[in-house]
Amino acid sequence: MEIIKEVNAYTPVIPKKKYSPVKEFFKNWKKQKLAFGASIFILLLIIVAIIGPYIAPYDPYEPDYNTTLQGPSNEHWAGTDEYGRDIFSRLLVGARISLGVSFLAVFLGAAGGIILGLMSGYFGGWLDRLIMRGSDVMFAFPDLLLAIAIVAILGPGLTNVVIAVSIFSIPSFARLVRGSTLEGKETVFVEAAKSMGASHRRIMFKHIFPETLGSLIVFITMRIGTAILAASSLSFLGLGASPETPDWGAMLSLGRDYLGTASHVVMMPGLAIFLTVLAFNLVGDGLRDVLDPKTKNE
Amino acid sequence: MWKTLFVVLISLVLMAGCSSKESGTDEKESSGSSSSPKEEELVIAVNENFISMDPHNTGDTNSNSVQTAMLEGLLGSDEEGQIIPQLAEEYSVSDNALEYSFKLRQGVTFHDGEPFNAEAVKTSFERIMKDESLRLNSRGFNLITSIDVIDDYQIKVTLKEPYAGMLTRFVSAKILSPKLINDSSNDIGKTPVGTGPFKFVEWVQGDHLTVERFDDYWNKADRVKKITYKPVPENGSRVAMLKTGEAHVIYPAPVQNLKELESNSDVEIHKIPSTIARYVSINTMKEPYDDVRIRQAINYAVNKEAFISVVNSGYGLPLDSIIPSKTQFYSKQETYDHNIEKAKELMKEAGFEDGFNAEIWGNTNSDTLKGMQFIQQQLKEIGITVEIKSMEEGTLSDEIYGAQTPEEAKVQMWYVSWSAYPSDTTNATKPLFSSSSFPPDGANTAYYKNDDVDKWITEVNQTADPDKQAEIYSNIQSAIYKDAPWIFLGVDEILAGSRSNVEGVFISPTGGINVTDANLK
Amino acid sequence: MIPILFIVSILIFFFTHLIPGDPARLVAGKDATLEEVNIIRAELGLDQPIWDQYITYMSNLFQGDLGTSLKTGLPVSEMFADRFMPSIYLTFMSMGWALVLGLLIGTLSAVFKNKWPDYFGMVTAVSGISMPGFWLGLILIQIFSVQLGWFPTGGAESWKSYILPSITLGAGIMSMLARFTRSSLLETLRADFIRTGRAKGLKESVVIPKHALRNSLIPVVTIAGLQFGFLLGGSVVVETVFSFPGMGRLLIDSIAFRDYPVIQAELLLFSIEFILVNLIVDIMYSMLNPKIRYVT
Repeated sequence: MEIIKEVNAYTPVIPKKKYSPVKEFFKNWKKQKLAFGASIFILLLIIVAIIGPYIAPYDPYEPDYNTTLQGPSNEHWAGTDEYGRDIFSRLLVGARISLGVSFLAVFLGAAGGIILGLMSGYFGGWLDRLIMRGSDVMFAFPDLLLAIAIVAILGPGLTNVVIAVSIFSIPSFARLVRGSTLEGKETVFVEAAKSMGASHRRIMFKHIFPETLGSLIVFITMRIGTAILAASSLSFLGLGASPETPDWGAMLSLGRDYLGTASHVVMMPGLAIFLTVLAFNLVGDGLRDVLDPKTKNE
Repeated sequence: MWKTLFVVLISLVLMAGCSSKESGTDEKESSGSSSSPKEEELVIAVNENFISMDPHNTGDTNSNSVQTAMLEGLLGSDEEGQIIPQLAEEYSVSDNALEYSFKLRQGVTFHDGEPFNAEAVKTSFERIMKDESLRLNSRGFNLITSIDVIDDYQIKVTLKEPYAGMLTRFVSAKILSPKLINDSSNDIGKTPVGTGPFKFVEWVQGDHLTVERFDDYWNKADRVKKITYKPVPENGSRVAMLKTGEAHVIYPAPVQNLKELESNSDVEIHKIPSTIARYVSINTMKEPYDDVRIRQAINYAVNKEAFISVVNSGYGLPLDSIIPSKTQFYSKQETYDHNIEKAKELMKEAGFEDGFNAEIWGNTNSDTLKGMQFIQQQLKEIGITVEIKSMEEGTLSDEIYGAQTPEEAKVQMWYVSWSAYPSDTTNATKPLFSSSSFPPDGANTAYYKNDDVDKWITEVNQTADPDKQAEIYSNIQSAIYKDAPWIFLGVDEILAGSRSNVEGVFISPTGGINVTDANLK
Repeated sequence: MIPILFIVSILIFFFTHLIPGDPARLVAGKDATLEEVNIIRAELGLDQPIWDQYITYMSNLFQGDLGTSLKTGLPVSEMFADRFMPSIYLTFMSMGWALVLGLLIGTLSAVFKNKWPDYFGMVTAVSGISMPGFWLGLILIQIFSVQLGWFPTGGAESWKSYILPSITLGAGIMSMLARFTRSSLLETLRADFIRTGRAKGLKESVVIPKHALRNSLIPVVTIAGLQFGFLLGGSVVVETVFSFPGMGRLLIDSIAFRDYPVIQAELLLFSIEFILVNLIVDIMYSMLNPKIRYVT
């Protein structure tokens, strides 16, 4: 293996043609058919999250006790819930909450995890041990307990759901980044950068971090899904959004009692979550194939 | 190295395979016995885990249900929850409500062969009085000054001061085998020994508890050979078990599934009016709720029929007094019927024409969340903007009982329920409406204080005369109902489901499952 | 490992006691008077200063006594006895098929990148990960227990009871593993030594299992280890849906009741299991990539 490395180190640098990275990206992106479709879905979803309240056909909060638990129809595309509220309208309005909470939680968690993971993997030694044992300790607490504790201390509400979900995302990110950092710091160009006297911070963020990006992007998209699901567990425990809020997770959790009788109350928000998470994961896969630094120059 | 990993993988798979094979053999044995022509095992699925089998140290419905199959008290309760003689054939209470005399049933034996007699009763009662760890359930028994064994089958209990709930306490104070209490008291919580129609077989924590017919039971009758109780918290799973016949009785049957169950010809649904009152307590010492007009307005604004149909899927009864109709000494009051105009008028009179912001607290059960949303929707009609604060039970309890004085209390409205034995009107009133029961000394979270009511509550507990009790309780009920310290939402109907071949199982108004005459056709 | 466990035990103890909520009040009930609550608090030993409680707890622990449940009055070890093995079986069963299928799907997808096995495999995997656990569980019960009657709806009485919960639990993990195997394998396949191997004329059937897969297993092992650890303690939702008599449900019940001894014992047990799993993961790391050995 040492020989291969050396060969690589002496590969002459071929001057690149001028190219626009954005154009290049889109060119490759369109080839990823599934991911391309999924990204359009997500784009639509984000638009819905922004304009949802203006296009919803009904007031998502307004009960109508005469039309409770009706199946999908021309008036109510996704049926009505136990208060006779229009589920389709609630899904439209709820997109903002469900997306917002999970985005924010994952990005906060990823930021924390990346920094800790890089430091842990790069510096090693006692710092590594401290961070890794710290994350062991956090892992020892099941998510639910951690969430209950956080929310019990901070009080229920969406902000605290974001905090809870992001905190229990940190260790997973830290571990993942540490694993790749351990590999990355052994590579030739990192050794080269070191020998040229680059600062630790520069090596970590300019050289090692981009190497971990591939797995990170896959993991972030996964975590967005996980975050939507985790937030829904919290709503299910009554620790999330106030119950009248059309949060998808809350709708799914509160509707589950009706699975046998009015299954659309569970199926509709369940499908919304399912499709959204699906789309994020497909996009994540696609992004990985396109953005990976190693494939770029091919 | 790849090989090593492969080996690890394979062994993981094999381990999983082995474990399933082992349990597979168990399956064959058990299914062999249950597929015989006449089923001999009754399976009852309930919604919560059993806490303990120590009858002197448990208060939860499901543990009590199982205990009732194995253990009996001097007194028992009938289908309506009213008191009947059980191990005592007769009983009497002195006029000053201090002396309780019992004539015991003869020819009764415990499951371990010990004879049942006055000494056995004394041993059990003394355990409740003396064992420090049972202080929770010693209420009433801590008032006993003497237990006199008159002869083998007569016993007299004397109290220090009158306590109206005492008869009910004789129902819940099950008589255990004296041998168990004296020789192996550590086992009481796991393997109780009593005189009931079924005896203990095994309890696998979290999975099931099995009892078996006791053939020397004093009340000979044909009953099923074996009963297995299973805790199944998930509503959907319980329903599925009833449909597939895996369970013969489910308690409770989830309201959401009733229609689907009712249309199933193999299944019967039982609706039992309960003594569970659903209400929202309103802090009568806090502005603006200290104005009775506001509290009445809130009551007029909430449509109780809609509450029952929306939140309870149509199952429930109106709460037309401060206690449910199955509770002893209940008297019907004139209800606050849904009337938005009247509510708005009262709001205007009280100076809150434009409404105000309010807060409602509750736990995180999905039913509570539904109920609080409903209140929120209803009060919006008269301009009250309600914010829902759902808290996990332990946190909620801290918030409520953490307040040492009424001034410290932060609670405005609390969405909650109360359940008391039908025969124990004291417990259905005193902890909720007496000014001596402000948290942390009780559950008077309405911080309701009415001097007349306080006086009446003291008085009614000092007499054993039912006519006098009825009269005082009637005064108490009308006074409090008018003051509207609660939103009187409704009374639950207990719903249970059974397979159509089940006989002789009934559910009491408190949700206890009585299997004394249980059988399978 | 011992010092870590010591720190963990301290953290667990104080963390558990920090959660708002008073076990004495929860035991006593809503109607109890302050006096009654205080008697119970003393009875449970909760009136002692927290350091004293910690010392009592630790000295009992060193004698192998996990304590007595506040709620049931039963020894914690007895409450664990019936629940531990079902949880372990379920974990191994879910993990077992998740690993086999996950690696298989992941490898096939990477090898046939952007061809139909890849699309099929990834859509399956992505679907598995995108479903809320209890949603999948409830739907499985509806179809396979209620409609078809093939499997019991819950419990842990026979191997049949394990099928649906292990599918529900394993689905997400299988999908994760498949995705990680694929992406990691793709990355390795582009690595220089693989290209060299190919250039030297090695067959794909040699390159992929022998060189590529081994090198791409590092992230996969991380994820598998993590998930294994989660499974040991974290199947709360699935245990609830299938009324499975496992450790997760016990923990949730105990948290709701602030049953300190049970919560502490269970968290400690999870920590031990988790640290063990991590040790194994670390060992596998160095087995898979000898370079790491002198780094850690």
